[in-house]
Amino acid sequence: MIRQEDDALAGELVIGLLDEAERARCEARIARDPDFAARVEHWRHRFAELDATARPEHPAQDLWARIAATVAQERPAAEATVVPFAAPPAARRPLWDNLPLWRGVGLGAMAAALVLAVGLGLMVRTAGRTPVLVAVLLSDQNRPAAVVNAFADGRTELVPLEALSAPEGKSLQVWTLWDRSRGPVSVGLLNALRSLDLNVEHLPRTATDQLFEVTLEPAGGSPTGRPTGPILMKGNASRTL
Amino acid sequence: MPAMTKPLPGRRDDGLAQALAGCAAGDAACLRRLYDGLAPQMTGVAIRLLRRRELAEDVVHDTFVRIWEKAALFDPERGEARTWMFAILRNRALDVLRGEGRTDLVDDFEPMGMTDESVDAEAAVTALSEAGALRRCLGRLQPVQRSVVVLAYTRGLSHGELAGRLGVPLGTVKSWMRRSLLALRECMA
Repeated sequence: MIRQEDDALAGELVIGLLDEAERARCEARIARDPDFAARVEHWRHRFAELDATARPEHPAQDLWARIAATVAQERPAAEATVVPFAAPPAARRPLWDNLPLWRGVGLGAMAAALVLAVGLGLMVRTAGRTPVLVAVLLSDQNRPAAVVNAFADGRTELVPLEALSAPEGKSLQVWTLWDRSRGPVSVGLLNALRSLDLNVEHLPRTATDQLFEVTLEPAGGSPTGRPTGPILMKGNASRTL
Repeated sequence: MPAMTKPLPGRRDDGLAQALAGCAAGDAACLRRLYDGLAPQMTGVAIRLLRRRELAEDVVHDTFVRIWEKAALFDPERGEARTWMFAILRNRALDVLRGEGRTDLVDDFEPMGMTDESVDAEAAVTALSEAGALRRCLGRLQPVQRSVVVLAYTRGLSHGELAGRLGVPLGTVKSWMRRSLLALRECMA
């Protein structure tokens, strides 16, 4: 009976069903009761088969650098818990001979270099990708529904922030207005909001305060070449810092 | 029960115990070796439990820091290096699951419903090696008793959560769990 109880308890520990206090009691028992420890190990070993059924996933590239940085920082504490055989007292050991210390320094430097390299790479990459002008298009409920980004090379894109599809027989049409005398010009047509390069090649370079809006039009676009349907969202371009 | 203390067959150690000894001696290259060998599987297990990649990666981070700190406490006489390290991972993940991030995570569970989770559980069972004892012994349980064990282990659901999902009293789940465990133990002895 006691064996059965212990087996069930060990199983619940391994599955993760015990509360904090019960778990702490079990951990303490594992340390002093080899029979109970063996029961726990048996369950862990058996249930490990279920861990093997999880699909392996590659962690983020920088995860190792994060671990190495934490470990390098904590090294003095970790060292204190490890007592090497017949090692001279740490205080008398010449610093130069302290291999773990230098390994730690080296590891820390490696992690720092990695962080710098990644940071630099990101800066270089984003320099070409930062828009010079941004327009946040707000819905009639004043919620940001899409963003228009205009880049230094003239490319201008629409990026949706909310899902939105035109009903059957209708289209979404993107317009821009920079000159009241010229009126709004169509720069894109789509059935559902998605990322889209806007058709601005033949237009003057996007400028501050230029208006962008999306209207609901008959399928295939406004028949008049001017917005005819309700405005779904609109916003003015602002220069980025 | 002398049979239980014998090392169990069918699992290679892959030098993991040796790498742990290296960590205990302060050799960070050994920690890297463990990371290279175990991080993808650990990340997969943590994502299955936590359902959020960032949280899962934080758990893997904490796990390797703990492995480094506690490597000297690992005793190869008393267990396998792999199970020892995965126990650290699971404990950390369960702490997060039952801790501060909890309300956040429960939201994620809601839309899935029990049917999907039962499917999850059955998929995990099907993915088990045909030759393994666990597959054979889980197969002998009633489906619902099999589900409670597999969902609790793979998704970190508590007795209370299982009772809620299955619409049965807490006491029923607890007794199912106990009966399942004893049947499994008997079958895998």
